[in-house]
Amino acid sequence: MNEQDRVKNLDACIKCSACTAQCPVATVYPFFPGPKNVGPDAERFRLEGILMNAGCLNYCSNCKTCEITCPSGVKITEIILRAREKAKLAGQKDEAKFQHRVRDLVLGRAEYLGRLGTIWPALTNGLLGVPLVRGLMEQTLGISRQAPLPAYHRKFKGIKKTWHSANKQVVFFPGCFVTYNDSLTGLAVVKVLEHNGYDVIVPAFHCCGVPLQANAHFREARENARENLSLMNPYLQAGIPIITACTSCGLALKEEYPNIDASGAELIGQQSYDLFEFLWKLHERGELREDFQEVLVSLGYHTPCHLKAQGIGTPSVRLLRMIPGVRVNNLDAGCCGLSGSYGYKHEKYELAMQIGNPLFERVQLCVSKGEFQSMTTECGGCQVQIQHGSGVETKHPIWVLMQAYGLAINH
Amino acid sequence: MWDGIIVGGGLAGLLAGIRAAERGKRILMISEGVGSLTYSSGVIDFGNVAQLVRQDKHPYALLGESIVRNGADYFQAHFPDYHGKWREVQTVLTPLGSPRKAGFIPNGLNAQVLHDAHLIVLMAPEGMKDFFPKVTKANLERAYPQCVVKVHPFRLDAFESWHTLGKPVNGMDYTKYWRSASGTGALKGVVNSLNQELDEARSDPADPGKSVVVFPGLASAFSNSIKEVLSDLPFPVVEMTAFPPSASGHKLYDALKETFGALGGELMVGTGVKQVEIQGKRCHKIIVKSKGKDSEFSARSFVLATGGVFGGGIEVTPEASKEMVFGLPLYVPDEWTNSEFLGDQPYARIGIEVDRELRPIDSKLNEVILENVQVIGRMIAHWDPWVEHCGGGVSLASGWFAGETM
Repeated sequence: MNEQDRVKNLDACIKCSACTAQCPVATVYPFFPGPKNVGPDAERFRLEGILMNAGCLNYCSNCKTCEITCPSGVKITEIILRAREKAKLAGQKDEAKFQHRVRDLVLGRAEYLGRLGTIWPALTNGLLGVPLVRGLMEQTLGISRQAPLPAYHRKFKGIKKTWHSANKQVVFFPGCFVTYNDSLTGLAVVKVLEHNGYDVIVPAFHCCGVPLQANAHFREARENARENLSLMNPYLQAGIPIITACTSCGLALKEEYPNIDASGAELIGQQSYDLFEFLWKLHERGELREDFQEVLVSLGYHTPCHLKAQGIGTPSVRLLRMIPGVRVNNLDAGCCGLSGSYGYKHEKYELAMQIGNPLFERVQLCVSKGEFQSMTTECGGCQVQIQHGSGVETKHPIWVLMQAYGLAINH
Repeated sequence: MWDGIIVGGGLAGLLAGIRAAERGKRILMISEGVGSLTYSSGVIDFGNVAQLVRQDKHPYALLGESIVRNGADYFQAHFPDYHGKWREVQTVLTPLGSPRKAGFIPNGLNAQVLHDAHLIVLMAPEGMKDFFPKVTKANLERAYPQCVVKVHPFRLDAFESWHTLGKPVNGMDYTKYWRSASGTGALKGVVNSLNQELDEARSDPADPGKSVVVFPGLASAFSNSIKEVLSDLPFPVVEMTAFPPSASGHKLYDALKETFGALGGELMVGTGVKQVEIQGKRCHKIIVKSKGKDSEFSARSFVLATGGVFGGGIEVTPEASKEMVFGLPLYVPDEWTNSEFLGDQPYARIGIEVDRELRPIDSKLNEVILENVQVIGRMIAHWDPWVEHCGGGVSLASGWFAGETM
């Protein structure tokens, strides 16, 4: 957005407070004044050079609920993110302790953590399971000892196979969660795409940059985006779609990457797809294999905030409902609270749990009434948090499709 | 290919979606934001139906009384948390505590019982935003002169940090809290201690008798746990409407959304229509502004429910007014305004002129413009919700009719 559009967008705010009434953080945390106040209201002061306390801005969890709520199309989260960056550039000292700054540096680097964790996953997981280690992590880094840190798996590297030159191609952007914590889901995505006649290319991508941005490392986030774009560019130029099964990576590819000053940026928005958005498109063109076997399962579905923000609806629910025997209950019970690394921080862990509480209560109620037995959602963070908060197993929807196609992962 | 796409997710659009989905149609709904129901009190007004069905070009007149009634009955059958009878007038309290007439109301808002009360206990949650106990007390005393009105302040541990900060607690936050497991426990505590006080008062010879509790920031509709707490009490509890954003309106929105979703409907919030594709007199595709790129959705029929000037469906500039999705022609009165602020404002009647099937028409040629598009709710021309008090009724009737016929 140029400066004039920014001011115009700011003026579109009619001060109705609908965003604050929906903000998951403001509801549970009185010290966060809410998106209207720290966003468009405070922006008027910022335009005059008056900056507000950056510590307060950092309580925005970047879930973008305010943006999709706003009846006037004000880019509230974008205003807040920009303000955080401005505060950082201005060298404004927030009240955050040194410890938190180190912690934000670590949590922003999901990729480095992943590389470290997947060297010897069993050891990492074993260590992370030791209460003393978690206690030390809380004291030294401020990472909550109760937070549901995901376990590490063998690193996802895609599948090596000989390609059929006749096949169509897609590029898969796995994202850090699949790469380091859930390689099996990555393999499942590849299997399903191959089953539909695609060769799946997996370049050695870096973290999409969302965790960096959320932890106030804006320059580094853009650097990651530039590196990923240079890896994608040859494929983008060849018209090959980029697919991700992570909704936050997907939102970054569609919303942030087009603004990066690098070649390929002009194509990435057009050519990136959420996995199920892509499969649905195949269905609409009559190109999806729909020889589904019956899968007798009832699932609760949680829409990740960053899928809502993509403005493509819930294509996974549409697709799963096409499979005979599958029943999907779309809960629509609000944010899970985790928001990437937000809920891992010890000062925010309780907040994150309170934010997710209506969802957890809803899940537990439905399970106790026998409406469904397990949950499904695309976002890895949401999966971990829902399992942690409700005790109900939560997996990526690709697994239902795997069953319907009769596919399995060969170890 | 969808059976129907509804653009706009307010009362009219959601009811249309519910009825169509119930008829087995595959429905996609596209909504720019959460819709104006969160600003509304949750109360549904019908206005003077007998008179409005005879008013030239009014939506009630186009649809006829039986359809207006069908919409109302259909709504009530699906949302038993609403109270009211066709053509019967209900009473609710305004956010300032004066009684007003209403059509259908969330059960807990029914203020009828105040007529027979001798003592009104006005609950005053500490620091609740947009709630003014003194004004409310004065208004209740004026409206119910037979009553003694006592203010009963209370404070919750859950909001201690708010109070310490001196920050007001939004009424919706109170409502959200009451609905959580710990909040329901706290509500029991609050009403039980009130009950004890009232018990003591009852044994007092100077006891004024029948007591009713007025409780702002509480919304029992669509919450079994709150209804359960209230049903055990020996005194009736009357909830209040609220200034926007309002919990009762929001809960109605949630309930409509949930019903629509449970019937298999899909709701996309936070995105709008960029463009439509039309062939001859039929729309066959809409193009939605998704992140990164546009998404296309094809359907057999379409419903326009974008909420008029205030919903963003009509853009008004000093030069012109414009319908934002299909670019349909609008009825625009010669004089837009009237110097009497609360009087009949002609601009309120801006909208799309429709035939009896609710399809947009060119009124000069008397020709249907788009055969597979229906216009509902606030987008229809020739009515004024503020003067005629029929906003809920028009939305339910036109929404139900579109859902029934699309």
